[in-house]
Amino acid sequence: MSELWRRCLSRLEAEFSAEDLHTYLAPLQVSEEESGFTLWAPNAYTMETVRERFLAPIVEVLEHLCDGPVAVEVQVGARSPDRGVGKPATRTRTAPERVAGSDSSLDPNYTFENFVEGKSNQLGKAAATQVAMNPGRAYNPLLLYGGTGLGKTHLMHAAGNLMRANKPDVKILYLRSEQFVSGMVRALQQKGMDDFKRRFRSVDALLIDDIQFFAGKNTTQEEFFHTFNALFEGKQQIILTCDRYPKEVDNLEPRLKSRLGWGLSVAIEPPDFETRAAIVLAKAQAKGVELPEDVATLMAKRMRSNVRDLEGALNTLVARANFEGRRISSEFAQETLRDLLTVHAQAITIPNIQKTVADYYQLRLADLLSKKRSRSIARPRQMAMGLAKELTEHSLPEIGDAFGGRDHTTVLHACRTIRDLRETDGKLRQDWEKLVRTLTE
Amino acid sequence: MSSQLPLALRWPAHQRFEGFVAGANGSALEALQRASRCEDRAWLYLHGASGSGRTHLLVAACAAANAGGRTAQYLSLASLRARRAEAIRGFGGSDLLALDDVDAIAGERDAEHALFDLYNRCRAEGSLLLFAASAPPAQLGIGLPDLVSRLSACAQLALRPLDEDERRALLRERALARGIELDAAALDWLFARSKRDLATLFGVLDRIDRASLAAKRRVTVPFLRSLFD
Repeated sequence: MSELWRRCLSRLEAEFSAEDLHTYLAPLQVSEEESGFTLWAPNAYTMETVRERFLAPIVEVLEHLCDGPVAVEVQVGARSPDRGVGKPATRTRTAPERVAGSDSSLDPNYTFENFVEGKSNQLGKAAATQVAMNPGRAYNPLLLYGGTGLGKTHLMHAAGNLMRANKPDVKILYLRSEQFVSGMVRALQQKGMDDFKRRFRSVDALLIDDIQFFAGKNTTQEEFFHTFNALFEGKQQIILTCDRYPKEVDNLEPRLKSRLGWGLSVAIEPPDFETRAAIVLAKAQAKGVELPEDVATLMAKRMRSNVRDLEGALNTLVARANFEGRRISSEFAQETLRDLLTVHAQAITIPNIQKTVADYYQLRLADLLSKKRSRSIARPRQMAMGLAKELTEHSLPEIGDAFGGRDHTTVLHACRTIRDLRETDGKLRQDWEKLVRTLTE
Repeated sequence: MSSQLPLALRWPAHQRFEGFVAGANGSALEALQRASRCEDRAWLYLHGASGSGRTHLLVAACAAANAGGRTAQYLSLASLRARRAEAIRGFGGSDLLALDDVDAIAGERDAEHALFDLYNRCRAEGSLLLFAASAPPAQLGIGLPDLVSRLSACAQLALRPLDEDERRALLRERALARGIELDAAALDWLFARSKRDLATLFGVLDRIDRASLAAKRRVTVPFLRSLFD
């Protein structure tokens, strides 16, 4: 039979495009039984595509070679040396299955010990620690919000891990919002809503990441609302993250927004320069990479948007240093990261401008974007709007949106004010020039 | 009683690491080799113009991972036409997943979101993801900042197409492997008249191979002229 299968394969190789081979046929694993062949696909989409497009030709070739009927079936699953032959899905890694486990979903690599603290995130860290020490009592829910790549998920896992360290039998469920959504869809399809509800309501702590993706999904929000209430009443801890202040998420139900505000909401701001440098050094140490401080400084100075960019830059340095067998020096980093650093210099974004201006005037980013109208905040805000118009291609309405949903006429007014003041006010002109330099260097 | 068969369908022999002419792309080659042997768990993001070897390297990494007993799958996002988001959500489950042509989903909200989900899922499950696109993440025009930042966290490997000298040397070597000697004059003639990307050049070599075999002639400029003009 094996010989037969091999002959079948060489026919198929000639028959299909290279892309079909790479994507759908090469990843298949095969087991052979008395009754016929089973093809194991790594995932559902591959299984369906193989059944739809390739099964008939495979059977045809086999039957031709055998001169008689051959049974071939396609299943999801993996055959690997350590997992036995043809066992279905010891590693079917679909999201809903993961939901079934509870504690296993926490990532032990994220702890408070390896979280680099700075001005921008110390409040978040303190709140998460409090919650982990007194689950269900300190702040419920705890909501951490802020842009992508700033450490919200890290803090969330760290809180979960600390809860478990304090009380090993605690039931913690961490999941990303889309796992909640897909778990619910599946429960609805399979009429398993009771199980679904029970699973979420029986935990001591429920941690859900990126709840902004609940926006516009009404059934999910409805179910989450009830889950939330049940947990809240049971004094079970809820920790959530969101990419912005929940009240600003469109298409989120008002009653859910109001519940989210019952506990404590903490902003995680982009890290300042010192924190960025400390983060790079910590990441390098964790990887066992020797990173000189001047390289960390260079990276922190040039990459200001989020931690993932720094991580990518570090990974890039390590990849090239491995290959060339070179030590990571400042010169080596300049050379290796040239493209990356240029991209960052070019990509002046509104959030970047806001962050830079807030830093410059020693304001909190949240204040800069707030409705507060005191001069000490309003002027820097106008400055940031003026810079956004000058240094990006965004339209005035877009700029207004980015500044807490302001009207484009407000932006226009700000730009005119700043332009006029640059003529008459020496200090402001200096500020302007320094900011432009910082943003474009 | 079931029996285990050797590797199912073969990954193509011409897209292996051994056949990759690195030129200026040595560090990318090395990084992918390490990744396919699981020596380094950092995810990689390759970017470069078409013809710079993106697909070759991704497919080679799949083949090598497979040869090492790991499961691997290659997927060009450009090849998914209908219901792209749904398809992307249906992937995963391999030890190594190589995603080519990430550009194809830029600006498609649902597909971007699906890729973001796939990224998170693969990370949680401990699989290794490799990406390839024409440009660095921030320049692809992806609307979902969460996805851009995640792609940016990969080691960024810029691929540069082989320069003309390297391509000439490669073509000469490939020809020699088939017993054809291409002298400098013949190479000059070919490079002046053919498109100079490797796919075209290898196609030209196939044609020369067949024709010289049939005609039982050495490959000279007059022979090339008779063949192509």
